Amino acid sequence: MAGEGKRKRTTAIEEAVVATAVVTAGFALQFTLGSFDKAFLAFPVNIIALAALATLLFIKQGRLLTRLSSGSLSVILLTLVLFSTLYMGLVPGNKTKISWPFVLIYLMTLINITAVISVHLKSFSKRSIPFLLNHLGVLILLYAAGLGSADKSRYFMRVNEGEVEWRAEQSGFGAREGLTELPIAISLKNFEIEEYPPKLAIIERATGEALPKGRPLLFPAELNNFAQIEGWSIKVDTLKYLPRFAPSAYVLVTSQGTNDTLRGWVSCGNHFQRHKTLDINENLCVAMTFPEPKAYSSDVIVYTRSGKERGGIIMVNSPLTVGSWKIYQHSYDTQKGRDSQWSRFELVYDPWFIPALIGIIMMIAGAITLFWKGGAR
Amino acid sequence: MSWSHFIYFAFGSLTLWSAGVVSLYRAKSTTAGKILILAGILLFSVFIAGLWIAQGHPPLRTIGETRLWYSFFLIIVGFATYLHWGYKWLMGYSTLVSAVFIFVNLLKPEIHTTNLMPALRSVWFVPHVTVYILSYAMLGAATIASFVALKELRSTQRLMPLIDNLVYIGFGFLMMGMLMGAIWAKEAWGDYWSWDPKEVWAFITATAYLIYIHSRLRGYPLKYILWLLPVAFILLMITWIGVNYLPAAQGSIHVY
Ligand code: HEM
Repeated sequence: MAGEGKRKRTTAIEEAVVATAVVTAGFALQFTLGSFDKAFLAFPVNIIALAALATLLFIKQGRLLTRLSSGSLSVILLTLVLFSTLYMGLVPGNKTKISWPFVLIYLMTLINITAVISVHLKSFSKRSIPFLLNHLGVLILLYAAGLGSADKSRYFMRVNEGEVEWRAEQSGFGAREGLTELPIAISLKNFEIEEYPPKLAIIERATGEALPKGRPLLFPAELNNFAQIEGWSIKVDTLKYLPRFAPSAYVLVTSQGTNDTLRGWVSCGNHFQRHKTLDINENLCVAMTFPEPKAYSSDVIVYTRSGKERGGIIMVNSPLTVGSWKIYQHSYDTQKGRDSQWSRFELVYDPWFIPALIGIIMMIAGAITLFWKGGAR
Repeated sequence: MSWSHFIYFAFGSLTLWSAGVVSLYRAKSTTAGKILILAGILLFSVFIAGLWIAQGHPPLRTIGETRLWYSFFLIIVGFATYLHWGYKWLMGYSTLVSAVFIFVNLLKPEIHTTNLMPALRSVWFVPHVTVYILSYAMLGAATIASFVALKELRSTQRLMPLIDNLVYIGFGFLMMGMLMGAIWAKEAWGDYWSWDPKEVWAFITATAYLIYIHSRLRGYPLKYILWLLPVAFILLMITWIGVNYLPAAQGSIHVY
């Protein structure tokens, strides 16, 4: 037992020395070369690195594999990862994730996990499955998210209703300026916004503050809807909301004290109509808020250079997937609201997303094994 | 079925759940308690189903509706974990947190009409948050146990199986929360991981617990590694509530 403890301790020191050397090398590179250029990892470099890493799975059990798969090395690496990410989380505007020390720690971690998987595969049994789900899962995910992300690119594309667009503007870090032609095109058949009804409120004319102060009451301008606010009751008598025109409501305002009724149109206005309020007295008026979008969606057909064609509806939270592309609803002409003539999409190209998803799903399964089996053994 | 009926179902279910928890602790057999809890779950599901049918779409569009699902899932996942592990306190905790969300729903009717911003309207949102809440409970309990264990170090290690269990279960929930968040982020923002400050801190927290798990496997001295649990829990608290106040977090999508 004592001998075992001693052996463990000495190996941990060896691993600490190796880790320190790698981190020092990382800092040396950082100070001489500057930050790591992630573009370097782009295809085919990441595939070649993957093949090199995979050879670890096939080498025979021996000193090398024992060293690389050391559990103490894992603890040291995880601690280094902890400190680098703490720096990332505490210091504003840092570039930790593209710094040489971090990149080298990341690579060592990948090697360490691959080696320990290799060891476990050599004595595979049903009992290795939870281990493999967690570690193969995390390995695939870290690979795809790290080395794979060099192949990722994002673009913004604005498409007018009834037109087809191939050109887009690159977004994100180190983006090229101007429009680039993509191997993918979007034809926008129709853009649509569903809106919540605008809301009505009594506001103070001088300050614009809604009543009751501090707890303003805004109620939806729906037909025959009514509300009582500080001695006034308001009822919606007629509603008009035609294409291109701003929503407007004909409201009756009754003073609960005197029973006097006042009536008139209220509108929030839009890009081409002025807003309109209804004055109740010299202090107060009835006003309408802009309708909030409930959902917006684009009905599109997507074409690719390689001849694929896919139609569908794109909404927030519901992108369209075409090969390695995902197309997201980004925005529209907010000034025109539901009359917007164009829709803006974000296109994300990530050929490593499927592997990442496989890793994520394996890890979810691994997490289930964790709380099913628990930690006591 | 509409929100005006909620109060009857809410009090019905809460009564059944509380009676169930009390019965778990008091009665000789746990059968009655389990039946009471199940009955409460059934009653609550009737309300959700009724609301769903009446609206013609899944109730996932307003803040009140997400609170409804939290209350529901907390009880379900808490109950399933209790059934598997027998931690009665977890059932009590789930009931308590669920009750908090139910009361928020009853006392703040305006959130039934406050719409969820479109990006939050996702099937991943509710499970993502629910498993986090449960993971905090398990890891919090592990932290308390770690203090007791540190006091008892010289005499016994009786708490270590419990602590390891709680860490594995809590960490399992934590990973599920993070991974579901990642899938959701890909659907909503185009990237499953963007090193957003909240994500950085979630990563830090997970790494701290991984250090604990792997140090235990190595058999390092308990008097050192038990300290990892309070430290990890502080990191977890920063992830949960502290991030919004950190200078590095300005501009995060997770700050609301
Ligand atoms: C989601 C992430 C992870 C989880 C849930 C996890 C969990 C575990 C568990 C439960 C074991 C014990 C397996 C068994 O004996 O059946 C283990 C072993 C191990 N893990 Fe992980 N792990 C994770 C990530 C990592 C990472 C990132 C590394 C490397 C830095 C790593 C390196 C190791 C090593 C080397 C062992 C062998 C244990 C030893 O001999 O000390 N794991 N892990």
